[in-house]
Amino acid sequence: MIADLTDRHWDVIVIGTGIGGGTIGRALAEQGLSVLFVEKGPAGHRTEETALNTAMADPVARTIRGFWPAPVTAQIDGKTRSFFAPLGSGLGGSSVFYAATLERPEPHDLDHSDARPHPTGGWPVTHAEMRPWYDKAEAMYHVCGEDDPLSDHPCTLRTPPPMTATDSAIMAGLRRGGLHPYRLHAALRHVEGCRECLGSKCPRPCKMDGRSAGVEPALATGRAALLDRCEVTTLQGTAGHVSHVTALRNGVPLTLRADRFVLAAGAYGSPRLLLASAAAQWPGGCANGSGLVGRNLMFHLNEMFAIWPKVVADHAPGKAIGLRDLYHRDGERFGMVQAMGISAGYGEITHYLQQWLAQTGLRRLSGLSRVPAALASRMLGRAQVFVGLLEDMPYVGNRVVFDSAAPDAIRLEYRLHPELQMRRRQFRKAIRHGFRGQRPLFLTWRPELNFGHPCGTLRFGTDPATSVLDPDCRAHGIDNLHVVDASFFPTSMGVNPSLTIAANALRVAARMTEAG
Amino acid sequence: MSEVVKHLAIVTGAGSGLGRALAVELVGRGVQVVGFGRRAEALAQTAALAGPGFHPQVVDVADADAVADAFARLEASVTILINNAAVYPRRDILDETPETFMASVAVNLGGMVNCTAAALRAMVVTGRGRIMNVSTFADIAPLPASSAYAVSKGAARIYTRALVADLGDRFPGIVINDWMPGMLATQMGIAEGLDPAVAARWGATLALWHDPSLTGSIFEMDREMLPPRSFKRRIKDRLLLRAKPVARRLT
Repeated sequence: MIADLTDRHWDVIVIGTGIGGGTIGRALAEQGLSVLFVEKGPAGHRTEETALNTAMADPVARTIRGFWPAPVTAQIDGKTRSFFAPLGSGLGGSSVFYAATLERPEPHDLDHSDARPHPTGGWPVTHAEMRPWYDKAEAMYHVCGEDDPLSDHPCTLRTPPPMTATDSAIMAGLRRGGLHPYRLHAALRHVEGCRECLGSKCPRPCKMDGRSAGVEPALATGRAALLDRCEVTTLQGTAGHVSHVTALRNGVPLTLRADRFVLAAGAYGSPRLLLASAAAQWPGGCANGSGLVGRNLMFHLNEMFAIWPKVVADHAPGKAIGLRDLYHRDGERFGMVQAMGISAGYGEITHYLQQWLAQTGLRRLSGLSRVPAALASRMLGRAQVFVGLLEDMPYVGNRVVFDSAAPDAIRLEYRLHPELQMRRRQFRKAIRHGFRGQRPLFLTWRPELNFGHPCGTLRFGTDPATSVLDPDCRAHGIDNLHVVDASFFPTSMGVNPSLTIAANALRVAARMTEAG
Repeated sequence: MSEVVKHLAIVTGAGSGLGRALAVELVGRGVQVVGFGRRAEALAQTAALAGPGFHPQVVDVADADAVADAFARLEASVTILINNAAVYPRRDILDETPETFMASVAVNLGGMVNCTAAALRAMVVTGRGRIMNVSTFADIAPLPASSAYAVSKGAARIYTRALVADLGDRFPGIVINDWMPGMLATQMGIAEGLDPAVAARWGATLALWHDPSLTGSIFEMDREMLPPRSFKRRIKDRLLLRAKPVARRLT
């Protein structure tokens, strides 16, 4: 049966099944192409409800659950530490664990203007050009929510179910404080029995992710197939063309062939695979003529804070509220503010506290952070935890590195530039000021990188000297290799990356089929 | 208490003692019960007591192939598995040969492993199920002349915990726990023990109780046994203003 997949010459091989890979694979299969999805992790059982667990250390147990098996080793400002990032490795990638927040970026995230200059001069695709793809992605992912009252660009979203009394009270309080909250855009269908599986695998066709909105509908066309537990080890080919990939499945080496290849292994995985493919015709790695493969790594900085709404109903808050009042202020690029949902927040609070303890050199005490986190969740039980996403900027020195001695390990080097530190202080000030009257309490002390939002490591652009991909997300100089995960972002934007990944994957699928 | 819908329960060791009583009780509550046992006559007697909801299957749970075949013959997917079958040979450890010892392990631990593995194949498809392992404290202080029983039943308790470690976070809808029925007036038990029919009422209630928070719990007779709380734990709970845990009862 495996031989049926490995012997075949496919129209397209998609490497990785997260938001990018799942979305483009579905679009291509629906347009009549034969598609093979190759996924490093297991397909798993559809009924699993596993929550992301960064404390589970055994690589086999992690693999079974669809967690990335190995820790991330990060050198941050010269200090090296190792930890499990919120990363998936299984059908649907990280997206099966995500909170399904599919928010559109602001025009200034992509476009340059005199009023809001763009740090890279702007993406090669404008916000206006992306809007039809955002519409399509929102429809594909069944996104529900409300328009941002501050935006000039309405979306066509499903109406979300009524808010809980707690959330309504919070919303009213924010409005009284002069803010403009709206219902966060969520890829949840709210089918019968929906438990809003934010942070865990959804056992129903309800939370829309790379699996439920991508791979599963693709397989339903009959033109796509999935090869799980299969790790692509190198791309092979001539200077300007990929002919096949090598892979390992259960220790058995495989060769997989297709006309075209789509890389969607994530902003850590995709550059690592290109670097691992270095050969005589590709010195320094496949598609690395610019030397930028793996570079310009960005995250978001998470500023977590709690507020206590004045009127509280006895009901758990949801991850239902977003606002953009502080997105861009006083000429500075900040980002969106979102409710985290206290129930979803507990594990994350623990994670951040553990990181904080690790950073302060108190690693041995990291178990203790469970107590303050539990304490916080107890004391803040009637509070709502919000997070501000602060945009990160591209710096060539910030990067993913590939170590052939440890090909499974994710290694990265990152420096918090003074510009980011300064903007962070201003963002916190803006939050304190914007939420005055809501009694905001910051839950983050040091800059907290969101290791679940990596991007930028294969940026797209018009100039092959300063970008890895062309405006169609095709590798410069290679005629049949596209990249559709968050690697292509030239800047990290002030919103969650998922909707932009999905919209771009649909755009790239159209370019690929137009080009024939 | 939400009950597992469209029940098909498997009770192992249904030809005698507690297994028979559990089968009769469950059929009495409208559950379709497939009873596993080695002896056709004994199962026929259970069938006579239980009525038409009882479906006997002659199978030795120690035989993995026979168990797989028996599961393949089921007309519906199993939703409840009660691992009850056990042997309790009274034998001096000096008289146990490796063969006799391992034969007991093959039933008391192996039977549980064989039936659970087969049942899980169906349960992971729906994400729902109930596995109740009939257990004992015999492992804590083994009695003389009980080595094979104490060791194998102790291992079976560890097997329950291992199931929870592997499945608890992934399949919360598959509810797994241990039940200690107490000292019963059965062949395996003691003459002055409890009437198995009384114990079976608790056991049936527990087996029909489908609540994910039961996973990993231990019930003794009709009462939940809470895990001992360490001093540190008690301090922490006090600090966090947590309510003292309350043991649940089977009513």
